[in-house]
Amino acid sequence: MTTPPVNFTVLKPRSLDEAVACFARAPTGRSARFVAGGTALQLEWANGIAAPATLIALGDIADLKGITHSSDTVRIGALTPLGELERDRDFGSTVPLLKAAIDSVAAPSVRHLATLGGNVAGRTGCLLPALLALDATLIGIGAQGTWQRSLHDWLSTAATPGELITTVEVPTMRDDWRWTALKIARRAAFSPSVIGIAGLIQLRAGRIRVARLAVGGGSVPPARLVHAEAWLKTQAWDAVDWTSLHGHLSAEINAPDDAFRSARYRRLAASNALVSGLGGPLPGHRHPRDRSTRASAALPGEIRLGRLTQPARWHARPDGAAKIAGSFRYLTDHRTPAMLVGRILRAGHAHARILSIDITRAEALPGVVAVVTHRDIPGRNAFGIIVQDQPALCHDVVRYEGDAVAAVAAVDAATADAALALIDVHYEPLPVVTDPQAALAPDAPQLHPGGNLQRLIEYARGDVDAAFAACAFTLEECYVTPRQMHGFMETEGGCAAVDADGNLAIHAGGQHALRDRQQLARIFALPEEKIRVVTSPTGGAFGGKDELTVQPALGLLALKARRPVRLQLSRAESVLAGTKRHPMTIRMRTGCAADGRLLAQEVDVLADAGAYASLGPCVLETAMEHAAGTYEIAHVKTRGRLAYTNNGVGGAFRGFGANQMSYAVECQMDRLAALCGLSPVEFRRRNLKRPDLGFFGHPIAPSERLEAMLNAAAASPLWALGPDAREGSADPDEVIGVGMAMNHHGNGLGSLIPDSGGGRLRLAPDGRIEACFTLDEMGQGLLALVVGVVTSELACGRDDVRPVIGDTNGPDSGSTTAARGTYVVWRTLRLAGREFADKLCQAAATILKRDAETLQLGIGGVIERQPVDAVPSTSDATATSIAPSAGGVAAASRVLLSYSTLAAALPADQLPCVDARFDYPTTDYVAGNARLIFASGACVARVAVSRITGEVRVLDLDQRSAAGPVMDVAAYLGQQEGGAVQGIGFTLTEEAVMTQGAYVTRNFDTYLMPSIADAPTRMAVSALEELDAGDDYGPRGVGELGIGAVTPAIANAVFAAIGLCPTTIPISPELILDATAPHP
Amino acid sequence: MSENSPSMLALSFSLNGVPSHCVAPAHRRLADMLRDDFGLTAARTACGIGRCGACMVLWNGRAVNACLVMAWQIGDADIITAEGLDAIPEARIVKDALNDENAFQCGYCAPGFVVTLTALLRERSTAGAQRTLSERNQPDEHDIRRALAGNLCRCTGYHSILRGALRAVDLLAGQPADTPSGDPS
Repeated sequence: MTTPPVNFTVLKPRSLDEAVACFARAPTGRSARFVAGGTALQLEWANGIAAPATLIALGDIADLKGITHSSDTVRIGALTPLGELERDRDFGSTVPLLKAAIDSVAAPSVRHLATLGGNVAGRTGCLLPALLALDATLIGIGAQGTWQRSLHDWLSTAATPGELITTVEVPTMRDDWRWTALKIARRAAFSPSVIGIAGLIQLRAGRIRVARLAVGGGSVPPARLVHAEAWLKTQAWDAVDWTSLHGHLSAEINAPDDAFRSARYRRLAASNALVSGLGGPLPGHRHPRDRSTRASAALPGEIRLGRLTQPARWHARPDGAAKIAGSFRYLTDHRTPAMLVGRILRAGHAHARILSIDITRAEALPGVVAVVTHRDIPGRNAFGIIVQDQPALCHDVVRYEGDAVAAVAAVDAATADAALALIDVHYEPLPVVTDPQAALAPDAPQLHPGGNLQRLIEYARGDVDAAFAACAFTLEECYVTPRQMHGFMETEGGCAAVDADGNLAIHAGGQHALRDRQQLARIFALPEEKIRVVTSPTGGAFGGKDELTVQPALGLLALKARRPVRLQLSRAESVLAGTKRHPMTIRMRTGCAADGRLLAQEVDVLADAGAYASLGPCVLETAMEHAAGTYEIAHVKTRGRLAYTNNGVGGAFRGFGANQMSYAVECQMDRLAALCGLSPVEFRRRNLKRPDLGFFGHPIAPSERLEAMLNAAAASPLWALGPDAREGSADPDEVIGVGMAMNHHGNGLGSLIPDSGGGRLRLAPDGRIEACFTLDEMGQGLLALVVGVVTSELACGRDDVRPVIGDTNGPDSGSTTAARGTYVVWRTLRLAGREFADKLCQAAATILKRDAETLQLGIGGVIERQPVDAVPSTSDATATSIAPSAGGVAAASRVLLSYSTLAAALPADQLPCVDARFDYPTTDYVAGNARLIFASGACVARVAVSRITGEVRVLDLDQRSAAGPVMDVAAYLGQQEGGAVQGIGFTLTEEAVMTQGAYVTRNFDTYLMPSIADAPTRMAVSALEELDAGDDYGPRGVGELGIGAVTPAIANAVFAAIGLCPTTIPISPELILDATAPHP
Repeated sequence: MSENSPSMLALSFSLNGVPSHCVAPAHRRLADMLRDDFGLTAARTACGIGRCGACMVLWNGRAVNACLVMAWQIGDADIITAEGLDAIPEARIVKDALNDENAFQCGYCAPGFVVTLTALLRERSTAGAQRTLSERNQPDEHDIRRALAGNLCRCTGYHSILRGALRAVDLLAGQPADTPSGDPS
């Protein structure tokens, strides 16, 4: 793990001579370093580069900042922050090439600190290509006095220690200079450079007088392409042989391979960018496919979600203002005086035997209060939601680099960090299993007693072999999905304390407090009643806080230290130790008749579990249950295998196997459609499954709206904006494509897994109607949902309701996972609402001396009973809510008795309180884990594919959904939009790359989640709320729906644009370039 | 020339308008000082390397990542955290607009966004005040996306934040509000 920086000395010279002298005086053998903005230091230190002993800070030196414009040159002080250059009114017109390059450096806030000199001095800066193209001059000072050299010359010799750049000089650009600059990156904004290019051409009388072509940035050595330049100068400008130039560039560019992009891609994309940027055409041709579909009529009953389209149903979240104000406290924000700080020691080896653990030195460090190892575990040293195969603290073997081995609690973070380094663990390295296929070989090292095959799931119906023989078209492909990281902004963490009676309280973000408590009780050998677990509110989870994370270590530290302890994982630790989405290889063979009817589906999935099972078995089961997607296929054969490796740990992640599978299924659909000569819509229409049966032929809940979702997708206005519609892309080097996908998602845990729910309604002493659930608010909008459901069912006002979450005194609501929370809340109100309302009315009737039958609940209190409303409403209510007039606009009737008055009049033990307990509805099918309740959807994506860089950007996203009544418009909209963009990351930019069991992508510098620039230009979300008559399953959850169709919709849009369907995600720009033009 | 021994630096700077003092080692990050020494936890260390923006604060009026600023750089800076933004008139409008639009979900990134947006709109409205109405330079969606390139959000997909930011622009420009949202909240 990282070591904290040495407490270096900082010198602040006030003149250049002083600065040089400081460096010269630095004691030999101890490093000194000039520093400007210092923005690169945190990452350097995180990556293990040692901090210097002396920092010589240049910020106090006069005359190192500022921009001076003259007619020929622009002089820029080296300490000028890049942000200042951006804001300079003249800079954009005098040096537009450098301005363009600056725009692509980091992000605005970083540019407020980062300096021009700093970008140059490191020799890897993103501005070097532009400065080389400008033939910048560097002016500096060193031990030998002042110096002046061209940047090109300066780069050609090794750095001289103690030398300082003071000024950068560039020419004032003329209007007739031609130039181009591009930073080719891995994300639309704030990305490490893959390769940067810059070019500058000066003409005279049609001949090229000056040609400067440069590359650099990141891992690419900064260089002028002097041979290509020399060749270019032999060309007449109006007759440049651009293809030849392209070849010269590719041959001369020197660039490396790395874990993300190949050297070949770097050369190719850079050559494309220089040619295209200077005005030449790109080699190759486009493959526009006419996929246009005449838009059909809009779907009746579908509503477009938004504040302006649904104003009466738009409510601000109860917790919104505090979160925006910054006053909201997350579980990792708690600090009390004398609270200790905890840290966890991670294995650092992907696979090793522990020979010894010695904590003596750590315990002896002043300020350390407790050190814990497996020896401190009184109960069972094992946890895991499905299989308890993961140790709380390792005792004999470590199976992934993030495995927890020990933990410390100390008076402050620095001491805790230092103590970790003093824990002596001796390991015997064991062979590392890095590949799930290799893990299943007979001679592979066995990672668990039962072998490396954690789960095998097989299913078959019909006769696939005979069916394939009868198919007119068969398509077999291997789809590969990456290890995706949850990326919740609040990392795992919280605090723990033991009281005088030995009761342990743990506050740490999670997704099922009562289940956490059960697991922790086993580890700590404490009765559950002596443990209180609070898991909310948390800053994002997406499944990554479902399994225990820091709680075992936190609890052990608190128990041993007998003082409160807080512990939060740094992002780097979260990357190292946290669960990830299971990488999957999905081999899929699909066959259809000549008319497009699907006949056979064969699927073979291999999923990488990593070191421990966690929820892997359920992820695999869910994937397999979605193996035929939304289609009717008579002959099916599937096999799914989950293999242990030493590659981190796989766990629950929104989508949960279904979204990996829908990527494969939906791409097969489009590709078979093309083979059959059918449109994507028509092919699907011929194959939609019946809405009342699930994958196993088992009965499922009614109201599945597959045909409606297909119609909705077909009706999307995006289809009319195909290849020739340039809206959103004026760039002729971008190829536009439109594609679609459908999906459905099974809610709840399934037929084989105990899945109970519950909740409580009670009147609080202050008169608020409290709806209590042990569900978690992790941002999905649970609080808003609770308010919405309660007001809809009880006809009270929104201000009358107080959602109470994380209350472990009431019925267990079950986990906040599997899109089940909405149902749990709704069903609780259905079961408990009438009784609760009756009790309130009875209590009110006694006080008012009236018959309870003449009363009902209203806004603010009990009101006169209203006549049943004959007209169905358009408000939040479902059609069959219990309150007689809740179907109408909530009546603003006169309050006969306010809730607060009523509550005040009742003794505490007579305040109405009604519990509901129920099982989440499941199907009777038990031969495999199967879902009963489904939400369905469709997505149409319009993308622009760059022929320069091979990148894909999403212009438009049209999401359709059928999940029953929308209980809170803003929360539903947020889940759909958020799921879509998380899916865009999965499709285009995210992969937690590992090699030899170690993460290559160790933080957000290289693991790239979508930035705001990567979000689609336009997004639309619609919902079809209708349920079948008699459907008593209420609103479905959409938490996992939005992420399922977006990946294949994008892939199918790319297919439409360029004729290639990407079968590995994140989509490789190099493959895209090869598909759009022939390249060596 | 000032030279500090590798012990503690004595710092004096303005924090949310209040003259503040502390002693810290040279390398201590501003983000850690705010959270652990001053109890201001709105700036959050969600990555520690300046890649996510959750720790954004105003530094002499400019949005910077507090995890990238160390004690030795603080000097006599004027630092405003999310908790202290209400001293800036634009901030209140930004916050209301974001809340009206349900801009955030888990909210962990929200203070960082609010700081960046407040700085953007203050810059624009300050510049705008010196110009005629026709010249006033209201940020459009492109400007907002550019300004927020360093703020990551994992929950929302950003569009709800953009809607909130654009609503703030409209409100600041004195446009009549459209249909008001449901709750006064």
